[in-house]
Amino acid sequence: MKKIININFHSRVIPIEETAYDILQQYVESLRRYFANEEGREEIISDIENRFSELFADKLKKGAACITDDDVNAIIASMGRPEELAAEEVETSAHISPAAGAGGSAGGAGTGGTTGGPQQGYGPAPADEPRRLFRAANDKVLGGVCAGLANYLKLDPAIVRLLFVLITIFWGFGFLLYIILWIVLPTKALPTNARKRLYRNPDDRVIAGVASGIAAYFHIEVWIPRLVFALPLIIGVVTSIFQNIWWHFFRWGGGHILFDGFGGSLVVAYIVLWIVLPEANTATEKLEMRGEKIDLESIKNTVKSDMESFKGRAREMGAEMKESFQNMGQQMGTQIRQNVQNFSAEKTYTRRGGTGIGHAIGVLFKAFFLLIAGLIAFALIMGLIAIAFSGGGLLDLKSYVLDGFWENILTWASFILVLVIPVIALLTWLIRRITGMRSQRHYLGYVFATLWIIGLISFVVLAGMIINNFRARAHTEEDFALVQPSHGNLIIRARQNVHRDYYDDEDWWFGNGWRNGLRHSGFFYSLNDDSVQLNTVQIKVLRSDDSSYHLRVLRGSLGSSANSALDRARQIIFPVSQSDSIIQLPGGFSINREQKFRNQQVIVVVYIPVGKKIMIENSVNRYDWFNLNVGRRHINWEDGRNDYSNDYDDEGFSLQNNYNWNSDVQYIMTADGLQRVNSLGKLGDRPERPEKSERPEKKEKVEAPENPTQPDKGGYRYKTPQAPAKKNNADTPVPKSSTMLPTPHPYRFVLLSSFIYLITDTLVG
Amino acid sequence: MNIENTQSQMRKGILEFCILSVIRRGEAYPSDIVEEMKAANLNILEGTLYPLLTRLKNAEMLTYRWVESNSGPPRKYFSLTPKGEAFYGELQATWNELTNAVHALTQKI
Repeated sequence: MKKIININFHSRVIPIEETAYDILQQYVESLRRYFANEEGREEIISDIENRFSELFADKLKKGAACITDDDVNAIIASMGRPEELAAEEVETSAHISPAAGAGGSAGGAGTGGTTGGPQQGYGPAPADEPRRLFRAANDKVLGGVCAGLANYLKLDPAIVRLLFVLITIFWGFGFLLYIILWIVLPTKALPTNARKRLYRNPDDRVIAGVASGIAAYFHIEVWIPRLVFALPLIIGVVTSIFQNIWWHFFRWGGGHILFDGFGGSLVVAYIVLWIVLPEANTATEKLEMRGEKIDLESIKNTVKSDMESFKGRAREMGAEMKESFQNMGQQMGTQIRQNVQNFSAEKTYTRRGGTGIGHAIGVLFKAFFLLIAGLIAFALIMGLIAIAFSGGGLLDLKSYVLDGFWENILTWASFILVLVIPVIALLTWLIRRITGMRSQRHYLGYVFATLWIIGLISFVVLAGMIINNFRARAHTEEDFALVQPSHGNLIIRARQNVHRDYYDDEDWWFGNGWRNGLRHSGFFYSLNDDSVQLNTVQIKVLRSDDSSYHLRVLRGSLGSSANSALDRARQIIFPVSQSDSIIQLPGGFSINREQKFRNQQVIVVVYIPVGKKIMIENSVNRYDWFNLNVGRRHINWEDGRNDYSNDYDDEGFSLQNNYNWNSDVQYIMTADGLQRVNSLGKLGDRPERPEKSERPEKKEKVEAPENPTQPDKGGYRYKTPQAPAKKNNADTPVPKSSTMLPTPHPYRFVLLSSFIYLITDTLVG
Repeated sequence: MNIENTQSQMRKGILEFCILSVIRRGEAYPSDIVEEMKAANLNILEGTLYPLLTRLKNAEMLTYRWVESNSGPPRKYFSLTPKGEAFYGELQATWNELTNAVHALTQKI
């Protein structure tokens, strides 16, 4: 008893036995694979299906109740199985090209036309013809050079292509060589030598059969590629277990780079191969996967014995399958790849004609454009990879920015989808192009595009969430109980940071510059596993209303609401200590993962009574400053040279009327404002000593006109009593900005900030 | 040396020529071509016909149009293009030469 199903087959309703339908489907699928490299594949298949449908209809018209296995098999027999077709195809192709050649060269078609005749006419070159190097007219990616070389060397074109690509990438002259060969070599329709193809082996797989497919291709034992793929992962797991013990070894010893980077790319490689490689399902493909014999002539002599022994072992393993196909394979395997790739009578003809200067110019033009396109593509890939990797660097900071489950999920989603998907897509495309594999899965592109768009959407949503986290601002004020210094002189000093510096010591990512940036001038001068240290601290100098010094510490933060911002501000720990005239400030403050980074800031306000002195030491230069202002629609990125006071104004506290100062300069508060102590005596000697000499490269920034909001506040600047001083003043740094000198931003931070900026920009549009 | 192999070689070489001849006589639909070849006792695998037709069409030797049919879906009717005519002409010349040559050679014995 058999189940009968109704199918709509090319506009005809056909009742067919389910088994017969399966046979039919298998047959069509085998044709699809067989015509994989054929230009009009779908059309051919559709024509054949149409014929099936017509014959089925005939059958039914003659009174058959349904289509049976036998019916299908009979039609398949008259249609021909791929193996049988292959036998025919080879001959037809051999027939076509010499005919065209004969038509082009000589009128007497006799000699040329008959070379296609002999049974072994598919051979790379007839025995009597001297072997010559040609470009393949029928199997080409660019100019057919690689296929031609492969034919000459009796190698798989895919291997030659990969070698060319590698040479081009690593040494650069591969492309030049290619162009020269392109110009020099004549073209000819050549049979391909690919008797082996990479497949995924569905019969012996752990994940997707990639490793065992590779093993079959190279005739090595399957554990070898498996180990290669798995080893980095195993080592990764082991290291993470022993990380605490071997921390230094793996960090310092470079193992970190090797295993993380290499292992990661192997995982990507596996996924790409998984996507690119077809599964070897049919007998033909299984034979192709193994290749019926090792025929790499060029390396035959040297490694023959090795290969033989490998092959022996491989054979033992797959003895069963092999034997059953061995006989058939000897004949078929050689022919199976010889699909007629194009019907190129005309093409061959015209291409032959164009071997002169014109041809060379044409090639050069083409090569030029290809080179440009290639460079652009290469730059894009590299850029994406770089972004993906530096994005990886950003991930260290993510736990300080992101709050809650959804933000983390969205970050990962957008990171993977937006950055990794294009890289995988490009690699897939590249490998397909190189190996000449055509996709059987047209939906792949749509899948990539969809995933990417999902990534973009989650990115935008994430951006909205993050912006929301920076929306509100709050700060606390706290007076430090200052003991009046005995000599009427106050010195402010920032403590050196003694901090566990694991992270930045071994930061191979950004090299020394980054590290130095972290140590000396970054916003984050130290980052480790549990906390990040910020040094967004500013010192403001104001005139005291009474006759004593005062010190006030303002701690500010952003947050999703004023309350949460206030909470965060309260969590900032910024202990100030005093020993007589010296006020010690911490080198910064740390925030942990729970507190999150919300642009926490500290402002130390020093009130100086008239007639008393102050000196702020050079050590405060390690403080840095920046603002993130989330307005209603966007974030303002400020680098600290703008007037901070504006931000706090709306909360009723004013830091206006503060005085500008330079570090390591002693000032005295006068009724008119802050004045340099030594300026009273020998003014103009070393007016802008520390900054000018230390950081000349910052000059033009420092020379920028004074903050426009300031002059009309009046009375805060120290007076410049003599005319020469005015001249000096022109290139004297605006003193205030010298505190938070525009030091180079730490790389990672710039990334983070531009990331945030980008998000907002995208959102706002 | 396999006799069947040699025989099929002989047939295959002239397949395109035959297809073009059939189409040249008037618009033809693939199944017509198959039937006609079978009637003429030229045994080929049908599966070789369809790719050949597609390739000839892609090489602009052939063109086709859809014709409604009263039994089933519309059919593809192929016809020769001028280029195909020229190609056919060349093949015909070659064929004549070949038959003459073979004839001369076989008659001699």
